[in-house]
Amino acid sequence: MGVIEEAFLGIVFGLIFGIILQRGRICFNSAFRDVKLFKDNYLMKFAALVIGLQILTFLFFAQMGWITLNPKPFNWVGNIIGGYLFGMGMVLAGGCASGVTYRSGEGMTTAWFAAIFYGLTAYATKAGVFSGWLKWISKFSVTVEYTEGLYATKSGPTLSSLFNINPWIVGIIFAAILFWYVFGTKTTERSTKLNYKIAAVILAILAPLAWMSSAASGRNYGFGITGGWINLFKGFLTGSSLNWEGWEILGIIIGAMISAKLAGEFKLRMPKKPITYLQVMVGGVLMGLGAVTAGGCNIGHFFTGVPQMAISSLLASLFFILGNWTMAWILFGRE
Amino acid sequence: MAKYEVTKTIDVRGEVCPVPDVETKRALKKMKPGEILEVLIDYPMSKERIPETVKKLGHEVLEIEEVGESEWKIYIKVNG
Repeated sequence: MGVIEEAFLGIVFGLIFGIILQRGRICFNSAFRDVKLFKDNYLMKFAALVIGLQILTFLFFAQMGWITLNPKPFNWVGNIIGGYLFGMGMVLAGGCASGVTYRSGEGMTTAWFAAIFYGLTAYATKAGVFSGWLKWISKFSVTVEYTEGLYATKSGPTLSSLFNINPWIVGIIFAAILFWYVFGTKTTERSTKLNYKIAAVILAILAPLAWMSSAASGRNYGFGITGGWINLFKGFLTGSSLNWEGWEILGIIIGAMISAKLAGEFKLRMPKKPITYLQVMVGGVLMGLGAVTAGGCNIGHFFTGVPQMAISSLLASLFFILGNWTMAWILFGRE
Repeated sequence: MAKYEVTKTIDVRGEVCPVPDVETKRALKKMKPGEILEVLIDYPMSKERIPETVKKLGHEVLEIEEVGESEWKIYIKVNG
């Protein structure tokens, strides 16, 4: 695949992703937090449904030989510490990794600052001043050898490899539990322009297609955010060319901008208290450090990794949620 | 000119998520039954989520008025 195709496909998948995120008001920071803070499960239902559906679409695409699943290495130290830092960071930043990215396109100026500090710190942890920390954390990484064709030969353990059960059986049970939660329990009402069920179905089909195009460019993974921001800053600061994920980020921002503009929802929003900028910058730093330490953010781990039933992603996601609840309680919960 | 006899106004335009929701909740807590709270917002998600949270707390959403490009006023009547 040439650089032009790589850029084009990254942007196109990013654009669609950005439009859906904007229209569906999809933010995982809200999804995690609202169940606790407002007893509102609307976005958590979205999260459960899109993961359940992706379990099935990922397995189907892998079974057909169109993608090779690539669960992230298990690293209990990194997944726990990084996950917790990232979870706290996203509350301070006012959005998760995808949240601050698409809100940047809606004209939310606090999201710009959060995203910049998130991207820069992620880059510093990956390849700069904090890379010694990452090197130490990497010592705890565990991968397994896969012989069957669904998974990349050396990738992280999954629920299926752990229990040595066929991935379809584990996947169907896991998805069934999630669907029971989505359809069997009461959902908080919300008058949205794009219902969460439609958004989840579109994304569950889009995600494995995005994976195919990303893999064709040499990056064997689906949607991600942190790697994309690192790639953007690397390109910006060192002049290196962008990869699929970097273009995807630009696509999300542009897609959200167009979508917001068309809906009359684009506006340069600025908070009255300037200290809010400081808060979101600290949040961004924690997110960048946390995401790289954990091996992924709410998209790489939660949205794309949990559907692969990766142990790393399940553990990191648990700590995203615990970190989120901790900081939400500190900031808003003590009444 | 005023549509409602507003007791208190909060302006949460530009605030990060979920400050608008939390400030609304905090303001309502301090108000007496029958009083009306006016909330100025500029984020579409707030327009969709605040009314639901308010209803769950037992208050009444009188109106969501569009006042400009991506700007709204929510009028809430406090119930006992």
